[in-house]
Amino acid sequence: MDTRTLEPLAVPEIAPPERSLPPGRWVKENLFSSWFNGVLTVLLAALLGWALYKIGRFVFVDARWEIVEVNLTNILVFRFPREELWRLWVALYVLAAAFGLGAGVATRVRSEDVRQGRATPPARLMTLRRLGPLLAVVAVFLWFAKSVEATILVAGIAATWIAARAGGRFVPPRHARRAGAAVLVGVAAAYLVVSAFGGVGWERWGGLLLTVFLAVGGIVISFPLGVLLALGRRSSFPAVRVVCVAYIELVRGVPLITILFLGAFMLGFFLPPGSETPSLEARALVGLVLFTAAYVAEIVRGGLQSVPREQTEAAVALGLSPLKTMRLIVLPQALRAVIPALVGQFISLFKDTSLVFIIGLTELLAVSELITKQPEFLAEGLIIETLVFAGFVYWAGSYWMSRESQRLERRLGVGER
Amino acid sequence: MSLIRTLGLRRRPRSTRTGRPTFVGYAVLVAVASLTLAGCLHGGDDGEVNLLDEVKERGTLECGVNDTVPGFGFVTAGGEFQGFDIDFCRAVAAGVLGDPNAVEFQPLTAEQRFTALQAREIDVLIRNTTWTSSRDGSEGATFLTTTFYDGQGMMVRADSDYQELADMGGTTICVLSGTTTELNLESVFRSQGIEYTPLSFEDNDTLQPAFQQRRCDGWTSDKSQLAGIRSAWPQGQGGPDALRILDETMSKEPLGPVVRDGDSGWAAVVDWIVLASIQAEEFGITQANVEEMKQSDNPEIQRFLGQPVEGEAFDPGLGLDPDFAANVIAAVGNYGEIYDRNVGADGLGLERGLNALWTEEGLHYPPPYR
Amino acid sequence: MTTLESVSRRPPPWRNVRVLRIAFQAAFVFAVALFALYLFANLVRNLDRLGIDTSFDYLSQPAGFAIPDSDFRSTEDLFAALLVGAKNTLFISLLGIFLATILGVVVGVARLSSNWLVRRTAALYVESLRNVPVLLIILFWYLGVLLQLPPIGRAVEWEVLVVSNRGLVGPGLRQTDDLLVLVVVAAAGMAVAATVWIWRTRRFDRTGEPHRRVLWSGGVLLGFLLVGYVAGGMPLAVSLPERGELATTGGFRLSPEYAALLIGLTLYTASHIAEIVRGSILSVPIGQTEAADAVGLSSFDRLRFIVLPQAFRVAIPPVGNQYLNLVKNSSLGVAIAFPEVTRITRITISQGGPAPQAIVVLMGVYLVFSLSIALVMNLVNRRFALKGR
Repeated sequence: MDTRTLEPLAVPEIAPPERSLPPGRWVKENLFSSWFNGVLTVLLAALLGWALYKIGRFVFVDARWEIVEVNLTNILVFRFPREELWRLWVALYVLAAAFGLGAGVATRVRSEDVRQGRATPPARLMTLRRLGPLLAVVAVFLWFAKSVEATILVAGIAATWIAARAGGRFVPPRHARRAGAAVLVGVAAAYLVVSAFGGVGWERWGGLLLTVFLAVGGIVISFPLGVLLALGRRSSFPAVRVVCVAYIELVRGVPLITILFLGAFMLGFFLPPGSETPSLEARALVGLVLFTAAYVAEIVRGGLQSVPREQTEAAVALGLSPLKTMRLIVLPQALRAVIPALVGQFISLFKDTSLVFIIGLTELLAVSELITKQPEFLAEGLIIETLVFAGFVYWAGSYWMSRESQRLERRLGVGER
Repeated sequence: MSLIRTLGLRRRPRSTRTGRPTFVGYAVLVAVASLTLAGCLHGGDDGEVNLLDEVKERGTLECGVNDTVPGFGFVTAGGEFQGFDIDFCRAVAAGVLGDPNAVEFQPLTAEQRFTALQAREIDVLIRNTTWTSSRDGSEGATFLTTTFYDGQGMMVRADSDYQELADMGGTTICVLSGTTTELNLESVFRSQGIEYTPLSFEDNDTLQPAFQQRRCDGWTSDKSQLAGIRSAWPQGQGGPDALRILDETMSKEPLGPVVRDGDSGWAAVVDWIVLASIQAEEFGITQANVEEMKQSDNPEIQRFLGQPVEGEAFDPGLGLDPDFAANVIAAVGNYGEIYDRNVGADGLGLERGLNALWTEEGLHYPPPYR
Repeated sequence: MTTLESVSRRPPPWRNVRVLRIAFQAAFVFAVALFALYLFANLVRNLDRLGIDTSFDYLSQPAGFAIPDSDFRSTEDLFAALLVGAKNTLFISLLGIFLATILGVVVGVARLSSNWLVRRTAALYVESLRNVPVLLIILFWYLGVLLQLPPIGRAVEWEVLVVSNRGLVGPGLRQTDDLLVLVVVAAAGMAVAATVWIWRTRRFDRTGEPHRRVLWSGGVLLGFLLVGYVAGGMPLAVSLPERGELATTGGFRLSPEYAALLIGLTLYTASHIAEIVRGSILSVPIGQTEAADAVGLSSFDRLRFIVLPQAFRVAIPPVGNQYLNLVKNSSLGVAIAFPEVTRITRITISQGGPAPQAIVVLMGVYLVFSLSIALVMNLVNRRFALKGR
């Protein structure tokens, strides 16, 4: 008898077939599979239909959107001097160029990965789908602006982005790091365009501009602080550990509003007598930074814990000093692992900037409430319109970023343990 | 919890680190130490702050004001600040800097005003603020000459039956948070045994819609504020005739400018600028005739307007130009003109009452300028 | 002849690692303490200059302001006012946690339903609420909905509910007699019900017969409550709201501020809990679901006996985190004049209380709440954790 071992047949890797049901059967299976489900479907459909009708009627028929139309600039930048608005446009162009370049380089890197089989090719029209919410917000803004020149300027920004992206694809992947640095330089340049060279200081920034500034500034400044705290929390010195843990647990145990109160009411008192009190924006930023740093520290700590000890041992075996180990081996791996969580924290911060409303800063939510107190709109219940509008802007920003974060998570393979 | 772990109640695995402080560790240590040292060495600035010099150097006056009370502090449709308190801000700017428009107005809610003053965000607070002992004592504030003697009143709808406070049992009353009115309402109603529900708001712009929507039955505030709000009541809601201000006065409300504790020089400056406007009315100097009055024969008036009287012009040592009073009057007029323009005959229509000069049975009695 | 030198010769202090470590830590603590003292010294100096109180004596001063919807008298001291605020924070947090958990679990399970419409609706709810700031939701409900309700003169009366912009009033309980008997009997009833619960569970472990412990314990407790109610002379009566001209009397009133804060917190936290529940259910190996189907359990039983208990274990830490967030988010009552502890602190500061001390006290209150909840969640976690992991 032949007793040779059989080689297993080579089975090609194919995905399971997609089931596409004819409409009738699909409805029956998905909506009416049991009597309970059927009842649910009918009830929910009725409820949804009614809700969509009411909302649709409100948004497109009943709502008095003049308040948003008239105050669009206020909502976007509030008390920013109108004659300096050109600075914001220039900054937007600079940012479009910088981010376009970054996007182009990223696309190039991605296609290299695809070619070498490390990644799957992106789905069709991915870029457009990814930018969906952002484009929706911009479209809404343009619709309310009702201005031809604004539309042209925005089209120019889009064109700049596309052009920069096309240019970025020519950058060979080995320069990817430098391209990343170029993006950061672009952001810094945009900031300088607005505030330096006779520009507009923080005190006149408001509305959506202030929201974005506080969020970005907050996460950027709190990031190194958070990393230091996380490292300190894992330090082998008990003294350092206790101090870091005490700070982190204290800040995470209290609401953000109390830290903002601390910044707004007390920060001036901590400075030596006779020194200039920082502006309210600066104090709010300090409060947000102190708060976010503790949360970033916890996130980074999780990342540090996820780096296997063997890495450190191997680095020590190679003779790397503790600083080099941290800088070249541990931190890059740790941070890469927690990028999605960090993006999540940024989204939280973006939403939490609305709290500076309570200490008197006029960011997006505050402006939405303020404009209903203008004499021509006072006491007419227009708060619903403005809050819906502000809610839409927040929603679009957060939704877009959370989708990007989920995408990143899938690409980096985080969570697939 | 992490605290428990850190305190060593659980053994940590041996780590592979050498335990020597790293370069980063030393760097952090040096940074913290040098920061602290620098701070300690710099902490020599213990003397009194000289806000007058600071304002002169800055070139603008930061004035904390109200932007929701017609007649006192209000923003017109054109975006201009207008009102009784606003005029006094301009007066201070005219007196200190010579330019009544060198003012940055910072609108503040009642809750924010004292913290803004303490945090040095503003130089002076001229925002219909009542002078009380606890504010003088514990808010780090110094109150100056009262510019407006007022009282607290109650405003109700004209179609309601309330004629006096005792009628208002069981009502809901709207009030601004962080004001003396909030406290007075409580003590007056409690002492008379009247049950009520308070509803406190950040600012008038949130309060007014609530009152309009009949969330509350009464609105209590300084009578001058109520008069201003009533005069601006929209016609769509019935206009001023839809509201009634009860006759009863619930408390004394002396309103005046406020500065920070610890700078008596600046306090004196603001005080005497305000007093100058009152003194000008006593002398009969108006915005129109101030230039003419400089040639007056009256040595008192000449001294007041900073004209040389047998030699040098009189300088009381406040740190201002000798003719600061003339600048103030030329910029905003005398007290009577400021009053009439904003809350009097050309404004809300309030009688002078207690706010007249002492010569006319009022309470304004400016000390002599010598 | 050679002499062996001592092998364990201690290195000089400047190269001795143990000495260096201690020296470094001492220097670090010293530097941090110095920095903290510097800040504190500045604080005290600045406060003294302004004449602001630097002690905690302000807490014994009379408050002077009234707190709506409470028995607080303005002559009581600020400390009592803070306690009222803390009580409000506690109650709205507990109620919010309860409601948000229920709603969150329902929506989380709905997101995995086999019914496409249910799935999509749940996803819509979660994705729209999760990405909006909670303050906006609270403001929307307060300014946009509850304040737009008709005024008291035109209040909507629906059966036993009175709805107006001064609040939602429903039937409540009114005390007509002494509650002592009822309370004592109720306490006894709870003890007996607990015993019954344990007895039925033990019986089930022994014999395998259905324990129906909820029915048994519930029935026992109800019986005791009934006996106590009758024996105590019917001390509680239902009070229905009566619409007066100015206000409703009787009944149980939910002020618009309370309602808006509660609704906002519940909706927002529930959307996060729904995501966590969904993630935790997905983390249960699919083999469990398949095995449950093979054994013939209905989908509801499968959820109740197989999936949810296992998912529960995974969900505890993140849900505990959301509870903490809810407690912290309750501080947003300060924006809509709900008298929770942050609002009371704000009023205290604006009526002349010293800001630093007030903020420190406020943070202390929240730390107490946070640490308590974290402790409870840790205990629960440990109780349910798999042994040996």
